[in-house]
Order: sequence, then structure tokens, then C-alpha cells
Amino acid sequence: MINLNQRSIFALISRIILGVVLIAASIDKILHPEAFAKVIGNYNVLPFGLENFLAIILPILEFVVGCCLIFGIMLDGSAIITAGMMFVFIIALSQAMIRGIDINCGCFKVSAENPGSQVGFRRIIEDIIYLGLSLFILNRGERKWELYPKS
Amino acid sequence: MNIGLPSVQVFILLVFSSVFSLFLNGIRSDGIPLLAKELDVAETIEISVDEPQLLAISLKQALDLYNKGTVFIDAREPEYFNDGHIMGSWNIPFFFELTFKLDSLQGKDSPVVIYCDGKECGSSEDLAYELQGEGFTNLYVFKGGWTEWSQNDHPIGP
Repeated sequence: MINLNQRSIFALISRIILGVVLIAASIDKILHPEAFAKVIGNYNVLPFGLENFLAIILPILEFVVGCCLIFGIMLDGSAIITAGMMFVFIIALSQAMIRGIDINCGCFKVSAENPGSQVGFRRIIEDIIYLGLSLFILNRGERKWELYPKS
Repeated sequence: MNIGLPSVQVFILLVFSSVFSLFLNGIRSDGIPLLAKELDVAETIEISVDEPQLLAISLKQALDLYNKGTVFIDAREPEYFNDGHIMGSWNIPFFFELTFKLDSLQGKDSPVVIYCDGKECGSSEDLAYELQGEGFTNLYVFKGGWTEWSQNDHPIGP
């Protein structure tokens, strides 16, 4: 069993990994909202029209939550939102694979010049790992190295 | 409001991100509309050279154009195309090759019909917008696509 101190260190490492991943994933989407809306549209999961709304909000949410995770701001809330996002991504990727639609993942890169990777098992496994990390942060026990709220 | 409660934190983060992102989208020059706009549906098909057109058409209108010998472009991936497609339609994955062939065969103002799988797919519309960007002026997206065409026993094949 790991002790409390080790647990805090693991939680901090998880926070930094998740934070960096979320911020890295958000940049290209924030820069190219139109391309990201098309990627979401290709998943065929949202009723027509709503993909734009999601393409506007989701990248900023990823960025904000990523910063909160790194700096330790409202960590419980950030971890819950991250877990929720990962859960939704896993469902979206899985249904795309099951239905056999061959589409751009839109995970990190969305622009036409740099279309990024396709939907695949690797992405799903990565998201499952990130989901695990966010659940671990939620159950981190001792609150250390957190900016706000302190207790 | 107790900021220590996880539900309160989730609420604050969601509201903050939504408001901030909508504000940012409003002020930036390449902001996008909040809801994706559907293509206008063509009432009658008039081939116009004065005004660029990009319209959605029904099965009946697609059939009319088909019988007049209009070029049909299949925007799906080649493996779906090879499984079955509207007879005589083109499937050219390379955009440059497609525009070159279209332009040299019939110029940029002749009608072109683009389709994909059916009502839920977006690749026909994406391709139509790309062709519009290249200066093609009479573009029609057949929304019913392969599904509606093949269900109604219209000409299919190689």
C-alpha cells in the first residue's frame, strides 16, 4: 500500500499530466473552431446544428479545467468535469469504431493542414487512462499543493 | 454558496467556461455561428451563371438532373463507392484531380450534384463548400444520398 505522502505526490503528478494533456488538446481547437465543428459533425452523434455550440465551448472548458488541475484550483470540480469529458470521449470514439465510420479523431489536431490521427483503439485506451487519473485525483485524500479552496 | 462542494465547483467552472467561450467567439473575427446552418433547399433548379448557388435538392430534383446528364460526385470513401453507387457518378479522393477534371470537362458554371451516404452524413456538404471555394457556381447537394437513391431502385452500378 502507498502511504499518504506518496499518494499526494501521485495526485500532483496526475494533475500535471492531465492538465498538460487537456491544454495541449485545446489549443488547436481554440484556433480552428470551424474545423473542430466539422470534426464533431462527422461523429454523427449530435442533432444538426449543435456541433457549433460544442465546438465553441468544449475547447475553452478543456483549457480552463487543464489550468485548474495544474494550479490546484477547485480540484474536485475540475476532476469531475475531466472524468465526465473522458467518459463522453470514450463513448463517442467507441460508437464511431463500432459503426465503422472512418473519421478524424479531432483529439489534438483538427486543422486541414494537420489533420491528426484517426479514431482508433489507442485513443480509447488513452482516454480510459486519463479517466482513471481524474478519478484518482478525486480520491486523493490529503489536500496538498492546492491554491483554492485551501481545505 | 459553499465553494468547497464539488457540485458548486462544477457549476462555477461550466458557467465560467461557457460565458467566456461565447464572449470570445463573439469578438473574434473567425467566430462561428452558434448553430450550424442547414443548406437552403432548392425550390426550382435554374442554372444560373450570375449568382453562385449551393443548394440542397430532393430525390426528384436529383433524378431530373441525372436524366439531363449532370455530373454526380460521390463524396464517400472509395470502399463504400466500390460497394455500390449511383450509376456514372465520380469518386475522386484527390481534390485537385477532381477540380481539374470537372473544370476541363465542363467548366465551373455547369451544374454538379454531390451526394454521400444519406441524411446524416456531412461529407457531401463539406466537398460542396470546398468546390464553391474553388469557384464552382452551380452546386447541388443531394441530401438523401446513396441510401434514398438505392432504396428507390434508380440506376446503380459501375
